[in-house]
Amino acid sequence: MRRLKLLLATGLLFCVQILWAQVQVTGKVTDQKDGSPLAGVTVTVKNNNRSAVTGAEGTYSISAPDNGTLVFSFVGYATLERPVGSVVNVALAAGENAMTEVVVTGYTSQTRRASTGSIARVKADEVRLQPVASFEQQLQGKSAGVLIQSGSGQPGSAANVIIRGKGSVLGSTQPLYIVDGIQISAADFQSLNPSDFESYNILKDAVSTSQYGSRGANGVIVITTKKGTANKTRLTYDYQYGIGELPENKLKLMNAAEKIAFEMSADGIYGTNPNGWSDEEADSLSKVNGNWAGAMFRKAKTQQHQISLTGGSERTRFFVSGSAFDQEGVVTATGLKRYTGRINLDHSVNDFRLGLNAFVGSSRLENTTESNTGIGSPLNAIRWHLPYVTPYLPDGSYNDADMAIQGQPNALKELLENPRTNRQLKGLAAFNLEYRAPFLQGLTAKTNLGVDFTDNTIQRYVSPTTYLGSQQTGGQGSFAQSNNRNRRFSVTNSLGYRKTTGDHAFGINLFNELIQNRFTSFGFTGYGLAGAFRNAAGIIPGTPTNGFIPTVNGNETTSALLSYFAIGDYNYKGKYFLNGTVRRDGASKLAEGKKWTTFGSIGGSWVISSEDFMKNSLFNDLKLKVGYGSAANSNVGNDYEALELFGPTSYNGVGGLVLTNLAKPNLTWEIRNMFNAGIDFGLLKNRVNGTFEVYNSVTNGLYLNRQISGTSGTTSILTNMGRMRNRGIEATITAAIFKGKGFNWTLSANHTYNQNRILELDGQPENIDGLFINRVGESQNSLYVVRFARVDPQTGESIYLTKDGKETKTYDPNDRVIAGRTDPPHFGGVTNTFGYKGFELGVLFTYMFGNKVYNNDRTNVENPGYYYSSVAESLQRAWTKAGDITDVPGLMDEYHPETTRYVEDGKFLRLRNVMLSYALPANVAGKIKASTVRFFIQGQNLYTWHNVLAYDPEVPSGNLLGAQYPPLKTWTFGATVGF
Amino acid sequence: MKKIVNYIFSALVGSLFLASCTKEIDQSPTYTLNGEERFKTINDYEYALTGAYSQFLANSYYGSTSGANAFVALPDMMSDNLYETSESLVNYTQFSGWYYTADDGYVEDIWLDAYSVVRQANLTLRGIDNLASQNPRAVNRIKAQALAIRALSHFDLLRYFGEDYGRNSTKLGVPYVDRFDIEQKPARLTVKATWDRIEADLKEAKNLMGNMDKEIQSATSTAASARSLIDPMVVNAILARMYNYAGVQDSAIKYATLVINARPLATPSEYPQIWKDVTTKEVVWSVKFQAFNSDIGGNVYYAVGNRASYRPTTNLLATYNASTDVRYPSFFSSIARRGTNRLVASKYIGKEGRTDGIVDFKAFRTSEMYLIRAEAYARLGNDVQALLDLNTLRQARNAASGLETGAALLDAIFVERRKELFMEGQRFFDLKRTTRTINRTTNCSNFCTLEPAAREWNLPIPQSEIQANPAIVQNPGY
Repeated sequence: MRRLKLLLATGLLFCVQILWAQVQVTGKVTDQKDGSPLAGVTVTVKNNNRSAVTGAEGTYSISAPDNGTLVFSFVGYATLERPVGSVVNVALAAGENAMTEVVVTGYTSQTRRASTGSIARVKADEVRLQPVASFEQQLQGKSAGVLIQSGSGQPGSAANVIIRGKGSVLGSTQPLYIVDGIQISAADFQSLNPSDFESYNILKDAVSTSQYGSRGANGVIVITTKKGTANKTRLTYDYQYGIGELPENKLKLMNAAEKIAFEMSADGIYGTNPNGWSDEEADSLSKVNGNWAGAMFRKAKTQQHQISLTGGSERTRFFVSGSAFDQEGVVTATGLKRYTGRINLDHSVNDFRLGLNAFVGSSRLENTTESNTGIGSPLNAIRWHLPYVTPYLPDGSYNDADMAIQGQPNALKELLENPRTNRQLKGLAAFNLEYRAPFLQGLTAKTNLGVDFTDNTIQRYVSPTTYLGSQQTGGQGSFAQSNNRNRRFSVTNSLGYRKTTGDHAFGINLFNELIQNRFTSFGFTGYGLAGAFRNAAGIIPGTPTNGFIPTVNGNETTSALLSYFAIGDYNYKGKYFLNGTVRRDGASKLAEGKKWTTFGSIGGSWVISSEDFMKNSLFNDLKLKVGYGSAANSNVGNDYEALELFGPTSYNGVGGLVLTNLAKPNLTWEIRNMFNAGIDFGLLKNRVNGTFEVYNSVTNGLYLNRQISGTSGTTSILTNMGRMRNRGIEATITAAIFKGKGFNWTLSANHTYNQNRILELDGQPENIDGLFINRVGESQNSLYVVRFARVDPQTGESIYLTKDGKETKTYDPNDRVIAGRTDPPHFGGVTNTFGYKGFELGVLFTYMFGNKVYNNDRTNVENPGYYYSSVAESLQRAWTKAGDITDVPGLMDEYHPETTRYVEDGKFLRLRNVMLSYALPANVAGKIKASTVRFFIQGQNLYTWHNVLAYDPEVPSGNLLGAQYPPLKTWTFGATVGF
Repeated sequence: MKKIVNYIFSALVGSLFLASCTKEIDQSPTYTLNGEERFKTINDYEYALTGAYSQFLANSYYGSTSGANAFVALPDMMSDNLYETSESLVNYTQFSGWYYTADDGYVEDIWLDAYSVVRQANLTLRGIDNLASQNPRAVNRIKAQALAIRALSHFDLLRYFGEDYGRNSTKLGVPYVDRFDIEQKPARLTVKATWDRIEADLKEAKNLMGNMDKEIQSATSTAASARSLIDPMVVNAILARMYNYAGVQDSAIKYATLVINARPLATPSEYPQIWKDVTTKEVVWSVKFQAFNSDIGGNVYYAVGNRASYRPTTNLLATYNASTDVRYPSFFSSIARRGTNRLVASKYIGKEGRTDGIVDFKAFRTSEMYLIRAEAYARLGNDVQALLDLNTLRQARNAASGLETGAALLDAIFVERRKELFMEGQRFFDLKRTTRTINRTTNCSNFCTLEPAAREWNLPIPQSEIQANPAIVQNPGY
């Protein structure tokens, strides 16, 4: 028996050899860069349908005609051809041009050539030196279609990121963030270290985002972290130091002399001299310079140390990093300190590949309240303190005079005596296991387990000596601590098969994914603080008489998302590509019977430049692509939004239930259908590269607050109603303008135009929410206010325009009109990079225009009712007597700020980043045994040209409420040394 | 090795289908409760009723933290009892200056907070009859209170938004909402029809209260924590106030008398203790505010911050005999700011020994019943009985008795109402229901007169309601 089998096999082989003159080729494919084995490389026989795929150790085996040619192709690497021999080892070089760049969608990766979707890729090294703690702020102006608004300069605050226009009105418009296959939330960035990131892949259209189904509607930012390289161990050290300061404040207030003069003559509702100064007092006060901003703000230092180590063998590779980041806030006593550690490990054994990416970050954030209108907020207080009151008394103690004069608590005391500390411990771990079936070439199975863990400890100490402290229960301060913990667990299993036969190549992957989220919190607030402690130890036990009754609270919510999906691709001759995705998602949050939906997409592309007729054309790369598909959003409301919920309440010490959430039996997905078409091109030997894309996306089942009769106790209910469209054009171009000996100049620019329109509102013409309106045919959340025309020279009264444009003195909300859109239709960025020998200079401008801002902050300092308090310079122009021609009404005028008087143009041009760096010549660096030594100096937000009467024009919500903490103007210098 | 490999591979493939059972996406809340799965037992209805009471503490109902304090201080701010000072953060100027518009946030809050009470009352009534067979008398007890709560909130809405208060007026009242259904778009009833519904709910409540499993609360206790709930005597008091507004004199006398007999007036020495929550003597319904609830009257005098945004007018103060009247020191005190004393409205400064503004709101008191009865008698021409009631109250406050008759007597009753019910949610409505002119003769430089024809006597229906509910009609002039 045994012999027979052997004989048969030999015979078979013999036959084959005779027929095809076959040889069995074996070999190993490695990375040219570091010699590490490359698994998954497709090896095909030219003009034949045979193919093989390299195993975990890079080895392959294929039978081929002895006069044939082997083709080695792999995503991200230049394709290589070699004649057949018995052993053929090759080293593939990583791709260099735009077409061979790898784009990662999270579940799969492709070369840009094979991609049919719209994906922008930013290499982390391009931006990582920018002095911001949150990585997404670094992406501003870098990518077409991606609007990034800083909004806040507070350390640790996340930016507002909008991809291809806001696809939702009430639901989240933030993209999904995926790090190494695990979903994280924007709030976590304060604890992540952007230097660990290798690339940002911004998925913009349905062909790429439908892979994320119900989470993909707002686009996806997929982040990969750095991997080890099989080579000698390399050590890199980075240091940077920066100084930040506030930009110019354009909302000018009266100084002490102006204010005193104003008070002594102003005839407001309480008569002239409302604060009752004697002549002597007035005289001396007008010489005081309160300078609250000077006391409150400082030049803020930022320091970062970072060290990373990479290396490994053919089988095992590692990347290890650690960092320490210390950023002061420009508001005194605020800041962020962060320590991070990461280890990325992968190991290959036989047919298996195992990987572990583990990250731990710990941060401590001291912040202050922002974006509110409270008098206890220090950032409001700098506007509302009387300019003739100083923060400190001559003896150095806090000056509470303003509390006595106008009830304005001392902002500095409130800030310094009431620390707010947030500590975060963040853990991210992704374990993945990949198996390449030896019995069927191209068959793989993968599992990816991820845990995202966040633990926040928030402490608020409210000193009994402060205004806030006096407002606490019992009037003697409080100490509150809350601990909350979020744990997101995900498991993704997949089965993939890839095959190439002749000119045809295809791949299919089947996935099953479960994501579970559990949030728990517990907190207490203790009242009555005395003695030496500024923590829980200082809480005085409550008694029936002292009123210091502590409160305790807790919460737990859970949610889950279950999905099945398939991702497939096909190409013919490497010129015609087709991608498709089908995904079915079920979400716990949605209404019974509405939990499941199916998404899908299809995309195709044609690499025209590979056609024979393009051989001698100007274009070395030219690709046409088109795609259509859907993705959804359910990031709205609470985890049980569809249910009728009753929450706890109490009356006279008895516990009860009160309705807290209306039942929404029809709540379902907000689904965004997206069309994308574009051209990628490279000209003049890739000296000029670019992409033009057009898109049209329509959100169906738009989440809106449907207005209901207030006789129900509520004015609105969250409803899937209406449709909204975003369509636009994106252009990106990079050109090597000058390439000379030693000197070169590269220009890179992108521009986006996005048009947003409400198409339908469930049969209603409009839906009004405070200052904003959603009206069919208009941009979402347009400003909706009465038009302010002028000031009546005879009476000093405001004159408004009625809906028909007639002048009226009666303020009537029925006369409101649309006064502009709040999100910018036009935005972009321009980068110029100049290189000369070791020097490099990069200059980035960003801009946006076409949007309006409602300046609520200004309404408070131009309110004539506050004429006894700190007010804007402009009130000096207020009407006082018949015949005055002015734009500021008299102080006795009825004050209605919801008018166009407070609508300002939001356009700006910002010198976002200037970076000058110098790399030591290798021979000099070698003298200190370093491989690279680089120094840099950069300026961030150096100047902004704008007309908003505030520190900064970027107001993501469109309503500048107050207490603005603007993005900072920062200078940084640093060095990188690699060994 | 191969065996292991096959095993792992099978496990991986198998796990693809592991999560196929879809119960993973059925998640239930634990820190809030799913209403559709509850309300199967009487206990949940007890909880919901407590919830309805808690809604009265809302900031634009009886509460005031960042709200309108609509049924406590606002009617005094809108009349001649208070004037705005330079300590004000001018958040309520549109009310004291009478230039509120339909898009005013507080106008909307007043509307919503009252209808939120109605909603919670209706949720308490939703399906409760299904439990009637098990425990009919407990159902009666809960139902009665919910009905009375619903009636009172509609009454309060009518006070602000109704065009007038005549028992048979065909002018516009308010929508009467008697079940929980968010899709309702109810029209405004006439004032008469609104009264009909209020009266019917109150009468039914009274009827149900005749057959309960237990007393709602102690009828006799005057402890600080007592009289927190709506018992039969509170229903009588609401009825008395209703008939007083509606001009139904005999019924007003009947129900006021029931309360007067059951809840005697406080003596002059007890009177100050009412405001410190030491006793509930004379209090018919005391809405309980405790630590962590809102303060009340904070938009007039914010005790914690010593901010007197509004202060009593000279004109009001002159109506009291400051040296004898027990009300004067209970309502006003001289408190220093920047080293200078000023007289502030300190009626709600806090419970005994505290100055945090957190104090019970005395929604109904016996003194109001005396004034209602006196007014009713006077309007019926029975000056003797009217003066007797008026003087009884005056004596209880150490104020001088009088001998007024006719129109002077009626005027004296209103002066006494102004003095006795200061910041108890009455002044503006007393002026409105008697079609008077507000004349701010003291402490006023701007917005000093409100003529009877002015639109501002009725709050505008909120803009959001106009937008959402096509059946609603705006008040004239807005």
